[in-house]
Amino acid sequence: MMKNSNKEQKNMNKWFSSGSPWIWLSAGGVSISLISVLGLLWLIASKGLSYFWPAEIHEFKSIDQHGKHTTVIGEIYDREFIPASQLAHTSIVLDPTQETVERLLVKTGNRELVSLDFRWILVPQIQSTSTPEELAVIERRTNGNFYGYIDSVVLDGKEVEKSKLPELLTRVDNFQEEIDQLQTTDIGAINYQLERLRLKERKYKLDNQLTEARKQELASKTQALKDEYTTLESELMALRDEVARDHIVVRAMDGQKVTINFEHILNITYNNKLGLFEKVGTFLSQIGGFLIDDPREANTEGGVFPAIFGTVLMVLLMTVIVSPFGVVAAIYLHEYAGKNALTKLLRIAVINLAGVPSIVYGVFGLGFFVYMVGGSLDQLFYPETLPSPTFGTPGVMWSAITLAILTLPVVIVSTEEGLARIPSAMRHGSLALGATKAETLWRIILPIASPAIMTGIILAIARAAGEVAPLMLVGVVKMAPNLPLDGNFPFLHLDRKFMHLGFHIYDVGFQSPNVEAARPLVYATALLLVMIIISLNMTAVSIRNRLREKYRMLEH
Amino acid sequence: MISVTPTALADSANKIDLSNLSPEQVALSIDNLNLYYGEKQALQNISMAIPKGQVTAFIGPSGCGKSTLLRCINRMNDLVDICKITGEINLHGENIYGKHVDVAELRRKVGMVFQRPNPFPKSIYENVVYGLRIKGENNRRVLDEAVEKSLKSAALWNEVKDRLHESALGLSGGQQQRLVIARAIAIQPEVLLLDEPTSALDPISTLTIEELINDLKEQFTVVIVTHNMQQAARVSDQTAFMYMGDLIEYADTNTLFTTPAKKKTEDYITGRYG
Repeated sequence: MMKNSNKEQKNMNKWFSSGSPWIWLSAGGVSISLISVLGLLWLIASKGLSYFWPAEIHEFKSIDQHGKHTTVIGEIYDREFIPASQLAHTSIVLDPTQETVERLLVKTGNRELVSLDFRWILVPQIQSTSTPEELAVIERRTNGNFYGYIDSVVLDGKEVEKSKLPELLTRVDNFQEEIDQLQTTDIGAINYQLERLRLKERKYKLDNQLTEARKQELASKTQALKDEYTTLESELMALRDEVARDHIVVRAMDGQKVTINFEHILNITYNNKLGLFEKVGTFLSQIGGFLIDDPREANTEGGVFPAIFGTVLMVLLMTVIVSPFGVVAAIYLHEYAGKNALTKLLRIAVINLAGVPSIVYGVFGLGFFVYMVGGSLDQLFYPETLPSPTFGTPGVMWSAITLAILTLPVVIVSTEEGLARIPSAMRHGSLALGATKAETLWRIILPIASPAIMTGIILAIARAAGEVAPLMLVGVVKMAPNLPLDGNFPFLHLDRKFMHLGFHIYDVGFQSPNVEAARPLVYATALLLVMIIISLNMTAVSIRNRLREKYRMLEH
Repeated sequence: MISVTPTALADSANKIDLSNLSPEQVALSIDNLNLYYGEKQALQNISMAIPKGQVTAFIGPSGCGKSTLLRCINRMNDLVDICKITGEINLHGENIYGKHVDVAELRRKVGMVFQRPNPFPKSIYENVVYGLRIKGENNRRVLDEAVEKSLKSAALWNEVKDRLHESALGLSGGQQQRLVIARAIAIQPEVLLLDEPTSALDPISTLTIEELINDLKEQFTVVIVTHNMQQAARVSDQTAFMYMGDLIEYADTNTLFTTPAKKKTEDYITGRYG
C-alpha cells in the first residue's frame, strides 16, 4: 500500500515537472478567451443581422376571457415563458397543471391607430395563426411600419390595378431623390452662402469698413441668391405635389381602412410571399439602406450613415494629430532628454496619463479646448458670428484633439520601445559616416522604428474608435443636421458637431422613445462599430506588416 | 614566434623609422592621451604617431583598451556619457578634441568599420551613397560613379553589380562587411579605422577582407584593431601592443613579432596570456 502511494506520488511529481499541467492551463486560458471573443461576435451578429431579415408576418386570431374576438397582425420579435402564478389574479382560464405560460412579443406597427406598436400575446389564447400572402409591410418615412392588406391603389383620384404599384413606387422614388438633392445640396448651398454674406456684412460693420458701395454689392448678391432660392423652392413644391398625387388604401388588423399617401411610403414588401432568394435580396438591400441612409424617427429607424462618417472622420483626424506629436515626444524622451530624474518623472507621468478615466479627458477638453482655446479663436477670428460661437462650442476638431491627448501615451510608449529596440550598430554606422544625430534619426532610426510607431497608432485607433464618454462633452450629438464634410467651401467643417456610432448605440438603446423597437438596432449598430474598428485596424496592421517585411532581416 | 608573411617582409623594405617620422609621413599623432570611464582610467598617457599610407595594428588581450583607443580617433567615444578624455590627437596638426571641431566633418575624414557588419536596411546602392547624400551630393552621375568605384575598391562590385537596388540585408556576412567598407571609403576619408573587422566572419571571408586591407593602404591610412595576432602579422606594417590601458610596445610588425623589446610583449605573442 505504502509503496503504491509512493509510486503515485512520484508519477504525479513527474507529471508536474514535465510542464504538462501548465501547458494545459495556458491552452485552457487561450481557449476561453477565444470562445468569449467568438461568442461576443456571434451574439451581436446574430441579433443584429436578424433585424434586416424580412420576417414572416403572422395573423393571430384569439378570443379573450370575455369571449371577444381580436385579430393581431405583426412580426414575432421575442418569445418567453412566464410563471402561471403571475396570471392567477387575471380571469384567464389555464390548465391547473401548467406551471409556465408562453407569450409572444409581437410588433404590430400601425402607430397612428394604436398607442403601442408592440404587444404581448399569451399563446394559450391564440385560436389560429396564419401567414396570409397578401399581407403587406409598408415601410414609411414617419410613424414606422404599417401592416395590413392593400385594398386599393388610387392614382390621381382614380382607382387603378394593384399591379401598377411597383411602377408608382419607382416613380415616387425618383422624385424623392430629386427632392433630396434640391433640399440638401442646392438649397443647402444657397442658405450657406446667404449666411456667409450676412457674416461678411457684419464683419465690415465691426471693422467700420462698410461703405455704401459694399453695402449695395452685398445687397445685390443677397437678392440674387434669394431669387434663386425662390425658384428652387417652387421647383421643390412642384415635386412635392407630384409625389403626393397618389395614395393607397390599406385595411389594418381591426378592419379599419387607412389612407397612406405615397409621399410617406418608402417601400412595400409582401414578406410572406418572398422566396428564399428574394428574402436574401431584401436582406441585403436593407443592410445597404442601413449603411447609406440617414436616420429617421429619433434614430430608431433608417440608416446610420452620418454616424459611420462621423466616427471614421474623427478617428482619422485623431490619427493625423496624435502621430506626429506622439513620435516627436518619444524621440525627445528617448534621444535628447538627459537620463535624469526629471526624464524619469516625465515618463512616469506619460504612462499614468493612460490610466486617467476617459470622461476626465472629456471634461478637460470641454474646459480647455472648447471654452478657452475655442473661445479665444472666436474672439480673434470670428467676431462677426458672436455671440453664437464657431469654435467655442463642441465640434469634431475638439473631439479629435481630445482623443489625441487620450491616446498620446500609447503612441509615445510604443514608439519609445521601438527606438530602444534598434541596434546601436545602426546609429554608430550612420554617425561614423559623418551624419549628425538629427540626420541619423531622420534617415535611419525613424524608418526602422516605423513598425513600432504603427503599432502605437493601431492601439490608439482601437482605443479612440471605441471611446464615447469624452465625446459626449466635446462634440457628439444625437442628430447632426449636416455632415462635417460637404460641397460648400472650405469643404471640411471642423467646427461642426457630428454623430458617432458609439454614442448612437447609447442613444438608441437608452434614450429612444421605443426601447423594444430599438433593441435589434442596438445590436446592429454595435456590430457595425466593431466591423469599422476592425477594418481601420486591419488597414493599419497591413501597413505595419509591409514596413516590418522591409526591415525584417535586421532581427538576426 | 609567429612567422611573418612575405608581403609583410617585403613591405618592411620601405620600412620607416617610427621614432623619427617627418611631419609629411604622419597621418595622426596621439599625444598624452588619457581616457576615463567615470572613475576608471581606461587609457594611460598614450603617445604615438601613426604613419600615412600604412597599416597600423593594435593588438592586446581583451579589455586592454585597443578598441577604446581606436574610437578616440574619430570621437565615437563622445557617445558614451561618462567618458572623459584629456590629451590630444592631432590630424593635420589640429587637435580633434579642440573647441571648434565639427565632429561630423572629422568623421568624414576618419571613417570607421565595426566588428559586426552593420549595413542599413536599404538597398546596396543607397548604403554606399549614404555618406555622400549626407554631404548633400544628389547628382545621379556622381553617385553612380562613386558606387562603382567604392564597390570595386572593396572587391564587391562583381558580386553585386546586377543587384545594386536590392536590399543590402540579403548579402552574406562577408559581403556585408565589404559593403560597409565600401560605404566608408565612398566619402574618401583619409584614415580608415577597422575595429576587429573579421571577428564575426568565416575564414574565407576573413581572407578576402585581409587581402582588401592590403589594397586599401594604397589610398588610405588604415588602423586596425585585432585580437588575432596572425592577422596583425599578415596585414600590418606597424603593430602596437597594449596592455591594461598602457601602450607597451610600438614597432614595425616584423620587429615586434620577431624581436620584441619588452618582456610583456614576448609573453603575449608567445601565448603565455591573452
